[in-house]
Amino acid sequence: MVKIGIEDLYSDIILDYAKNSKYRKEIPASKKAEGKNLSCGDEITIFVKVDKGKIVEASYLGHGCIISQASAAMMCEIIEGKTVEEAEKILNEVIKMSQGKEYDKNLIDGMEVFSDISNFPMRIKCFTLSWHTLEEAINNQD
Amino acid sequence: MLSSNEYEEEFPVLKRKINGHRLVYLDNAATSLRPKRVMEAVTEYSLNHHANVHRSTHTLASEATEMFESSRQKIAKFINAQEEEVIFTKGTTESLNLLAYSLAISKIVKPDEEILITTMEHHSNFVPWQQIGKIFNIKIKYFPLRKGIFELDEYLKYINLKTKIISITGISNVTGQVIPINMIVEKARKIRKDIIIIVDGAQYVPHISVNVKSLDIDFLAFSGHKMLGPTGIGILYGKKEYLERMSPFLYGGEMIDKVSMEDTTFTILPYKFEAGTPNVEGSIGLAKAVDFLQQIGMNNIAQHDNELTQYALEKMKKLDFLEIYGPKNNLQSSIISFNVKGIHPHDVAHLLNEIAGVAIRSGHHCAQPMMTELGVRSTCRVSFYIYNQNEDIDILIEGLKKVWEWLK
Repeated sequence: MVKIGIEDLYSDIILDYAKNSKYRKEIPASKKAEGKNLSCGDEITIFVKVDKGKIVEASYLGHGCIISQASAAMMCEIIEGKTVEEAEKILNEVIKMSQGKEYDKNLIDGMEVFSDISNFPMRIKCFTLSWHTLEEAINNQD
Repeated sequence: MLSSNEYEEEFPVLKRKINGHRLVYLDNAATSLRPKRVMEAVTEYSLNHHANVHRSTHTLASEATEMFESSRQKIAKFINAQEEEVIFTKGTTESLNLLAYSLAISKIVKPDEEILITTMEHHSNFVPWQQIGKIFNIKIKYFPLRKGIFELDEYLKYINLKTKIISITGISNVTGQVIPINMIVEKARKIRKDIIIIVDGAQYVPHISVNVKSLDIDFLAFSGHKMLGPTGIGILYGKKEYLERMSPFLYGGEMIDKVSMEDTTFTILPYKFEAGTPNVEGSIGLAKAVDFLQQIGMNNIAQHDNELTQYALEKMKKLDFLEIYGPKNNLQSSIISFNVKGIHPHDVAHLLNEIAGVAIRSGHHCAQPMMTELGVRSTCRVSFYIYNQNEDIDILIEGLKKVWEWLK
């Protein structure tokens, strides 16, 4: 087994995304969903503005660790401009990656910087919180 | 106390390397490490003596029953209780749930009386009372701490003639503050003589010698796995006069006197509260752990844990990127909660493990009301036990400095 260093999980790019506040905001009149990580009490709200089947804007608000915040920020960047169907495909591949399964790297648009997450079982929930919440937001009819 | 080498022999996991570093285990408030002698006792029973207890007449059944009951005897002696006052449960959580539910259905609290708890309690000494209050329409009063610090005089103002029960932890599982139980008992009984005093001893009993008779508390709950014993075994101590008046919490085998289609009568203490086949190997493991603790000496343990805590506090106070919660002096023992400024506890805990082999806890510690008092969502927590040394603290401090440099 290849030894995975913690440096890859806390790489500069991930630290930068965690500090980036570009997507840390509320989008009025958008679909939204709230997610909670029961074991640590972390919370996140995901906002997506959908127009004619396309995600024109995405953002998040919440509290969490570097992994969860960076994952949310990068997710918003990736899904903006994608259709809902495209976003759902990305979501499926990202979840597969987090579980250590085979996934299509070409589809996930840079999220592979987190590919080591499956080696840290205690942190997978931090990483997937925003993605599972996105799924709820997309399916939210309100 | 034993030497580092002796502890390494007794606790094999201390020789493990975590990411190339010697394991520094500072998560003892969650659970303590396992000594060889405890697990050997569990294995010896399981492989050579196991049978169901109190039922059959064959040799194994007799040996198992004898071993189970002598475990109870040893644990009773450890806290200076009578054997029939010591009930085996699966842990502090079950002990406190049993108590809350049984006290409520036994109508020991009258409709206009109150139960007093505090905002520093672990959820297991908070949620059962809150829910019992709702279901049985009993008034629950909450004593709010100030900035996470317990003040005796303020607390006593919440006790009056209506207060029937007070349930309080002996040591905060977040700040490590040692609560002056003896003072509480003395003052509370002056306000109301027949007040029922319950102590959550999950963090207290592993570190500080308890004598339930001289302390004059009515109930004490604690867990085996925080004091070198196995998981799934715990104790509820109760004064006989109350236990006799209380209805069982669980019904089934072992706890009955006579069962007919119409009704059932229940057996004597402590079996009335021990329905079903008990955790016999757990009881044997816990008794062995008690042996070990007594061999080291509870007073030595209390002193060791306190000295380590003061040493750690002194060093941690010098790190200006830390925020430490609680009294931050010798009022606290064996536990320290803190945050690294601007950095989530999960990140701190994960990095300490990876870069220094230091195991700490991060999260809300099953004490969300206490987190609210402190104005945080979660904290990092280090907690010490017999095998920890000053060197472990030094490694923690160096690790924290590295984490800060990396993530600040």
